[in-house]
Amino acid sequence: MSKKHIDSVPLPPKDAEVLTTCCDYCIVACGYKIYRWPVGKKGGIKAGQNAFGRDLPIELDKGGWVSPNMHNVVSHEGKPHHVIVAPDTDTEVVNKGGNHSIRGGAIAQKCYSPDKPTKDRLQHPLLRVNGKLQPISWDDATTIFAETSKYVIEKFGVHAWATKMFSYQFFENTYALTKLALRSIGTPAFAWHDNPTVAPATPGFRDVGIDNFSASYDDWYLADTLVIAGTDPFETKTIIWSEYIMKAITEHQQKVIFINPRKTTGVAFAEEHGGLHLQLNPGTDTILHLAIARTILENGWEDSEWIKKYTNNKWETDSGFGQGTRNTDWQWRTTWGKFQTKGFDDYKKWILSQKESDLKYAAETCGLDAEDIEWAAELMAKPRADGSRPKTSFGIEKGSYWSNNYTNTASYASLGLVCGSGNRPGQMISRFGGHQRGGIKGGSYPMGKSPEKFGGRRRKPLDLDRWVQAGKVRFAYVVGTTWTAGMCGSGELAEVFRNQTTRNPNQLTSSNVDDVIETFKKRIDSGGMVLANQEIYLRKGMGTELADLVLPAATWGECDFARANGERRIRLYSKFYDAPGEAQPDWWIAAQIAKKMGFSGYDWKESNDVFEEAARFTRGSRKNYQPLVKMAKKQGKKGHELLREYGTTGIQGPIRLEDGKLVGTKRLHDSTLKLPTTGPERETVWQKWLTKFKSQSGKANFMKSPWSIFGDFYDHIKPKDDELWILNGRINEIWQSCFDDVERRPFITDRFPENFIELHPEDAERLGVESGDYVTVESDRVPVQKSGFYGRDTDDLMFTNLLKDGHIKFVSAKVKAVAMVMEVPKAGTTFMYFLNTDNPANALTPRVPDPISDNYRFKLGVGKVKKVGESPYKNSFKQMTFKSRAIV
Amino acid sequence: MKDDLKLVKDTETNLPGCINRRQFLFYSAGAVSTLALSSVFGASSALAAEALFAEYPSKKLASLSDLNQDQPIDFLYPNDDPTYAQCVLVKLGEKAGGGVGPDQDIVAFSSLCTHMGGLLGRSYKEEHKVLGPCPSHLTTFDLTRHGMVVAGHAVESLPQIVLEMKGNDIYATGVAGLIFGGAKNPGM
Repeated sequence: MSKKHIDSVPLPPKDAEVLTTCCDYCIVACGYKIYRWPVGKKGGIKAGQNAFGRDLPIELDKGGWVSPNMHNVVSHEGKPHHVIVAPDTDTEVVNKGGNHSIRGGAIAQKCYSPDKPTKDRLQHPLLRVNGKLQPISWDDATTIFAETSKYVIEKFGVHAWATKMFSYQFFENTYALTKLALRSIGTPAFAWHDNPTVAPATPGFRDVGIDNFSASYDDWYLADTLVIAGTDPFETKTIIWSEYIMKAITEHQQKVIFINPRKTTGVAFAEEHGGLHLQLNPGTDTILHLAIARTILENGWEDSEWIKKYTNNKWETDSGFGQGTRNTDWQWRTTWGKFQTKGFDDYKKWILSQKESDLKYAAETCGLDAEDIEWAAELMAKPRADGSRPKTSFGIEKGSYWSNNYTNTASYASLGLVCGSGNRPGQMISRFGGHQRGGIKGGSYPMGKSPEKFGGRRRKPLDLDRWVQAGKVRFAYVVGTTWTAGMCGSGELAEVFRNQTTRNPNQLTSSNVDDVIETFKKRIDSGGMVLANQEIYLRKGMGTELADLVLPAATWGECDFARANGERRIRLYSKFYDAPGEAQPDWWIAAQIAKKMGFSGYDWKESNDVFEEAARFTRGSRKNYQPLVKMAKKQGKKGHELLREYGTTGIQGPIRLEDGKLVGTKRLHDSTLKLPTTGPERETVWQKWLTKFKSQSGKANFMKSPWSIFGDFYDHIKPKDDELWILNGRINEIWQSCFDDVERRPFITDRFPENFIELHPEDAERLGVESGDYVTVESDRVPVQKSGFYGRDTDDLMFTNLLKDGHIKFVSAKVKAVAMVMEVPKAGTTFMYFLNTDNPANALTPRVPDPISDNYRFKLGVGKVKKVGESPYKNSFKQMTFKSRAIV
Repeated sequence: MKDDLKLVKDTETNLPGCINRRQFLFYSAGAVSTLALSSVFGASSALAAEALFAEYPSKKLASLSDLNQDQPIDFLYPNDDPTYAQCVLVKLGEKAGGGVGPDQDIVAFSSLCTHMGGLLGRSYKEEHKVLGPCPSHLTTFDLTRHGMVVAGHAVESLPQIVLEMKGNDIYATGVAGLIFGGAKNPGM
């Protein structure tokens, strides 16, 4: 690969236009400024000569340097313009002073450019005719989509019409797409990009009474002890690490406890500074949480006063429970008998009676030293000599809740309650977040139509992957996600799709609209499926191979959009350049389809129309921005325009109105928040959970987390003989699932030209593998739950019974990777990038969701690693580095 | 539109591309000839790049006998700016991309972190042959692989100082990349 070294960057002239946006990638959503000026002009290095108003070179150790990767040339209103997309140095929130990650710092390279690696952006609707994708008009594409959809719904019902879509790519798009799928069509065959259904990420938090985005970033700084489960924010939430956690460590000696089988830079740094790495065996988190809680309880370190004041006692626990239809997951989980307690004393009694909470048993099962578990308990809860307590916050992410979803989240949140956390500054229990929070549902999920049930009257949303596997889906609308590579057991899932699409005999031989619809009808009648994929690039699998219809989407920077971040901060993401070719924003595409299907309410002219309509659907949620839209109307402005005035600072949801002014909400369940005594003003939606927990009583519930819910599956899946755990996840350099960074930024492509596997030196030596070797990672026992939608008895959907009743099959999978030998993964475990479309680590992960919540156990892959040769990177200086990711 | 952008790229955006001799030095295993470059950039821009490349001064840094393995030496390049021209020269003891000397293990880099300008000069790790982690935000750069980011936040590799041997003397002759702080490299 050729490599260019650019040793200069053009400067914006003083009169360059300046717009604001935020980074498109991780949850943190740093504030950025866009400087745009026509090609042919240039600025100078003196403050008076450039739009930054700064002298160059800039000061060391400060934000504000513009590197070559922050510059691009784009088309704006049809004419070439320079753009610099650089972190906002003036911002006082999030990326204060202009800090950035390796991802956001290069986001200018996301922009379409005809002679850069973004040149393959989708520009026209495409139809697969004679096996090849060829351009068609928007009119024909939407007609084919609508007519085929109408046929499927009329003949097979709404259950046969499925949507699989991103949950995050801006309010306007998610609202429009879900309005079509959930309100206008009303299908239960609907799933988000990251699970097989509409599962909540942290159901245990929900049952305890905690909103999973309750904390503000400042809370991560304010804590004396910060517990981080299942992630290293250094890698995937960089600015939360750099601006909050790392500063807390160096400025006020915050102690950070990582619960994670993998040691990366943030973990190593925390350890160096008095923190603790609980490098546990994968999947054993619940046991660790129980053992820490028990240690605290046995020492009497719990926050008794707080527990008395803010958690439910026996009578309060019962209040509101046991009522209604029990048709929501929340209701049945909290009335089932397996999880709910009668308050703290009952929880304590339960924990003390569990063999899993025994220190010695836990240490052995988790692969930890008992002293470290005790030390963790001490750091979290032991009162100081003067009687004061450490302020402890608890953050969680997917390494934990995607290995064992329900009991990990329930036990973790309950541990937090023991420490008096959840409702005050520096003492919060929250997710850190993955994608940004861009979801607004334009309709309710039609739970009543879902055929999936736990034993008893316990209805669950439909597992769409299993539904496809059962041959029930005849039309699939796939928006912004690589469905097969993104889900578990991905190799086998891709085969299921092939059988129903490309291997069906009814394939297009003409692009004549009538012929196309006729052929699709034949395919649908023969049991096959028609697949439409809406994307910004032609992605491997879904786009290149499976889609009949490809719809080109416009994205970040190509339309005005709004979205919230991990502390509910809502900002406007400005349009600043032309979308390539005929690409259109997702809301526009959904609207054309909806209108052609005969639905009303889609006459939007611009994204602001969608933003204003969607506002009503945020009322009562953590993203409520209805007061902003009403205020804008009062001021004679568009909602987007008022939000634009808030710049990169934005405003934290839920937005309230106080003394006629818009006020943001720093944290939820905030016992220190003073609301006006006169009551909510005008558009403000008062929710009890602004100041109290999210339960009927406003107090928190201690939840039980019995290992037996998960133990049979765990015993079955864990490595046997010479197998290793094949863990997977995101890494710092490759955040956006391979479409922006690793595939289209040469400096990242050189860093990770292929998927990799981190091996511990002990395992590598045993296997005879060195850094730079090619290895295969394979398994012939990847479990796939192929059926079993309905359980009669409560234990029917537990793994042992699924197996016994023939609902599980085992499939083979094999992927290739470049070995990286380093003391980063725990011995016996490995780590791969999760969503490489050539070699997805997900091929090895079990497609058996947590029966309680239908979240996949994405992190529990297992396989055998074998050397197959040497990669070219082993002896090259150009690509890949095999240095440790934990050097401090 | 496409032609417009292409023109911009060739004449304005990337002009000081300075990839020719440097790339030859870096990727000596697969030498890039002037002819090949011309076919990529057009003869005129290859010539322009050559001319610009020549603007970097040649500066003697040390003699082979001055260097001890894993003991970095500070120097200033491409000019004498005490802040922005801070660089570090090190004999790694293992073959490295762009390395010179009998063992091709002598390399030099800018000492300023390309993330936010933290000082990396004192952060050399003998065991790993890296500069970093940067004291500011912990970015680490692999000195054996042209300053590639190992972990951290920089969106550019650490600018490598192009070295050439004249007898037993080591000379700096160019900079691959833009040094932190400015819109052009110091003095250029």
